[in-house]
Amino acid sequence: MSRPDRVVAGSFVVAILAAFGLFFVYLRGGQTQLEGALLFLTLGGIGVGLLVWAKRLMPQIVDETQSRHHAPVAEQEQQEAAETVMGGVDELKRRTFLSRLLVGAAGALGLAALFPIRSLGQVPGDTPFFTKWKRGSRLVDVGGNVVTTDTLNVDSFTTVFPEGSVGSADSQAVLIKVEPDLLQLPADRAEGAPEGLVCYSKVCTHAGCPLGLYLAADHELRCPCHQSTFNVLNGAKPVYGPAPRPLPQLLIEVDDDGSLVAKGDFTEPVGPAFWNITDGPP
Amino acid sequence: MTRKSAEARLLSRVLRIGLVLVVGGQILWSLRPAPGQAFSQAGEQGRALYEASCSTCHGLQAEGTVNGPSLQGSGSAAVSFMLTSGRMPLAAPGDQPTRQPPKFDDEQIDAIVAYLAEIAPGGPPIPTVDTSQGSLAEGSALFLDNCSGCHSAAGVGDSVGGGQIAPNLMPATATQIGEAARIGPGLMPVFDEDNLSEQDLNSIAAYLHWLRDNGDEGGLQLGRVGAVAEGLVAFVVGLGLLFLVVRLTGSKV
Amino acid sequence: MISKRLVEGVDDRLDASSFIARNLKKVFPDHWSFMLGELALYSFILLILTGTFLAMFYVASPDQITYRGPYEPLQGRSVSLAYNSVLHLTFEVRAGLVMRQTHHWSALVFMAAIVAHMLRVFFTGAFRKPREMSWLLGVGLVVSGIGAGFTGYSLPDDLLSGVGLRIAYSIAQSIPFVGNWLASVFFGGEFPGTALLPRLLALHIFIIPLAILGLMSAHLAIVWHQTHTQFKGPDRTNETVTGTPVWPKFALKSVGLGFVTFGVLTLLGGLFQINPVWFYGPYVPYSGPSPSQPDWYAGWLEGLLRLWPNWEFTIFGVTIGELFLPAIVVPGIMFTLLAAWPFLEARFSGDRGWHNFAQKPREAPLRSGLGAAAVALMVVLFLAGSNDVLAKYLQIEVDTFNTVLRWSAFVLPVAAGVATFLVCRDLRDRPRSPIARPEAMTVRRTTAGGFEELHEPRAGAAADDEARAP
Repeated sequence: MSRPDRVVAGSFVVAILAAFGLFFVYLRGGQTQLEGALLFLTLGGIGVGLLVWAKRLMPQIVDETQSRHHAPVAEQEQQEAAETVMGGVDELKRRTFLSRLLVGAAGALGLAALFPIRSLGQVPGDTPFFTKWKRGSRLVDVGGNVVTTDTLNVDSFTTVFPEGSVGSADSQAVLIKVEPDLLQLPADRAEGAPEGLVCYSKVCTHAGCPLGLYLAADHELRCPCHQSTFNVLNGAKPVYGPAPRPLPQLLIEVDDDGSLVAKGDFTEPVGPAFWNITDGPP
Repeated sequence: MTRKSAEARLLSRVLRIGLVLVVGGQILWSLRPAPGQAFSQAGEQGRALYEASCSTCHGLQAEGTVNGPSLQGSGSAAVSFMLTSGRMPLAAPGDQPTRQPPKFDDEQIDAIVAYLAEIAPGGPPIPTVDTSQGSLAEGSALFLDNCSGCHSAAGVGDSVGGGQIAPNLMPATATQIGEAARIGPGLMPVFDEDNLSEQDLNSIAAYLHWLRDNGDEGGLQLGRVGAVAEGLVAFVVGLGLLFLVVRLTGSKV
Repeated sequence: MISKRLVEGVDDRLDASSFIARNLKKVFPDHWSFMLGELALYSFILLILTGTFLAMFYVASPDQITYRGPYEPLQGRSVSLAYNSVLHLTFEVRAGLVMRQTHHWSALVFMAAIVAHMLRVFFTGAFRKPREMSWLLGVGLVVSGIGAGFTGYSLPDDLLSGVGLRIAYSIAQSIPFVGNWLASVFFGGEFPGTALLPRLLALHIFIIPLAILGLMSAHLAIVWHQTHTQFKGPDRTNETVTGTPVWPKFALKSVGLGFVTFGVLTLLGGLFQINPVWFYGPYVPYSGPSPSQPDWYAGWLEGLLRLWPNWEFTIFGVTIGELFLPAIVVPGIMFTLLAAWPFLEARFSGDRGWHNFAQKPREAPLRSGLGAAAVALMVVLFLAGSNDVLAKYLQIEVDTFNTVLRWSAFVLPVAAGVATFLVCRDLRDRPRSPIARPEAMTVRRTTAGGFEELHEPRAGAAADDEARAP
């Protein structure tokens, strides 16, 4: 056997053995790395065998040259083809009124065919402008436990939801406690941040990712997706990154029993902008 | 015996006793307790170590200097965390604290912790974290909700801005995990008992330790950073190998 | 198996003898760079094979179930049926994980091969008349591939891909007038919506694969019919093609390459962990891990989103969301330019001739320079998409890295483009060194006793002259 012969034969033998190996591994319950390696040997063995066979064991098959068969299309043939096509088109166009009506019908059908898109789901309506927070909604954490003024220490943060809507995508908020004298909120907002506890929407105003990073020493909320960073001391104004707008704030107050409740919905619609976000709800 | 040699022996005896007294006295003098504090060997060792390695930046009374913050109220958890993870002492003030081989052994660290507990009391104590009490299922849920935003889903860490990198948590001991949560080192926020209870810490630490040896059924883990590493491997290994095959198979003209 | 009787029998019924003979004898040039497209083809075949297996297990439902499988850290957790089906496939179905990983690696390599192939076609000018249609079909394949990948890795309903879906929703929302409406209607309400997973499945296993099959078949059929381009060489002309006949040699080589491709992809699938969804946990809308990147072929878009300034403006009461420019307009321009390139080049160079030769990049310095600039820009965008991971490994400040990348996005393409242009032009115009092709020389002894040299014309001189021709 010549050398390429032996390589091809060897490759196919490896493939056969590996295939049996696969059978064996599978019977024994399977193991991902072994499966991958044996598949590599089986498939690769066949492949290498074929490649070497083609490249080395067919020396008598040499390169050939052929015409590409692109004769400049005979004038007459091209004429004939064009005439056949245009003949049909012209016959239709001859009836100007009818063909225009046909175009109209096709267009109308096309428009009508777009309508089932509406059936796919709900229109947004005014839902982008509101969340589940209402006046008096109690703040609860992911486990459903009521959040009180004792829950957080300075430099702590936690994710909160309105009671009854744990896990709500648009209502999610982050509650942070800072040293009260560090807050630089305007008067109406400062009233909604008692004892250094300030609450903002957790939905990034850039592309909607949840703001999972709190850089406590810098008092900044940061988004894991595109690094938008917000200063929690001055109303969550963006200080870095592609977010264009501050995070909406949830104004909160302390209830008689020390639990935290919302004073209403967020100060602005949550999340990234949409075309009529400045209009307010319809 | 001559009279002279007897005198000489007496003199040498006196000198020897005197030497013992002087040297012994020096030793005892050096072991004297600090003014106003009860004598304790560990306390002295802690003070000596603190003054030698920490006081330049943190001040003799842990009050802070221009080079380093005050340690008043920082807590034993902070001292233990910084020393056991080798983050402190820093080579130079202003360096970013990163995990290093610790400069002190456990006994020395205990001494420094004890000393600082005396001169800078208060703050979070060293938590007791017992991974055998923890639940993997709770730990993974808590970790994903509270920690993965900075430390990544598999705890390998990521850049967080502000000049810092939330570190890889695989080398951390259970105690260090608890300590860091309680103190919030660097840019990290603080998680106290109301936020993450002792049992929560047990579970999180259990999960992180479980991650050290488990979870890689799929093969080489590629740093557990996700799509970036996967894309690199697809090009370098996947397309790379195939590119080689194609170069060997095809012609070059 | 394949016997003369069988062939005759089929041929008899289909009247196909001339078709069979002509096509099996067709020749294909076998330069190595012409095989990159085949890598994409075979990756796609493996995607279909492994994907069929996966489709037998996947459940496209967001309804919740309590996980009771063998993966401890998720025990007792509430997960969707979709996520549960993927975990089941991973940890409990024999060969499930190797199939899943092979499928995902095949997707990544499919896109990588497409890009490599596209660059080859671009830099060799193989898109010129008459092959513009193939180019357009190829651009369609790139876009479809990205769509297939995105819908595919979003199916497991894990935390990481769910964050990606939220970003997609936000991008749709940013479209003026119809954005919010389209997003809400398609997802079935405000994010996360109720209708998404089954629709993603329909897209991923039916609509997009159908599109890819159609585009790919048309692409291959046109290449076959028009015959493949080839590089210039001795005895090669624009009207002929030189290469290996399809049957048996070229077919064997191609099928062999196919099997080797399958082998490499299954090797990756077994040995290299990819998309470990068990670490990410089930999707919940209030968590997001860091780092979070999409699969590599969407990395350029991720980079655009990370680098783009936070411009948002309101014109006549219509708010143009910050995402609209980097996520809709810029990619739209990019793909339009890409698709239009053959026509743009023909227009601006005035070259509307029929080209069957593939060029060396140096033969078209302007095109190569512009292509290099585009590649450099894409590289910067890919780096930007990975910025936090790179910053972690390089131990640098990520925000500073961003600033460097923003500058690089302008400087690097210009530098790469100009450098490539100058190098190509120089290589093209410089006469070949005499030692590149040594002269054949005959030395003859004369009867007078000395030697005389007989100079032959330099071998390959004709080819060199042709190569330098514009």
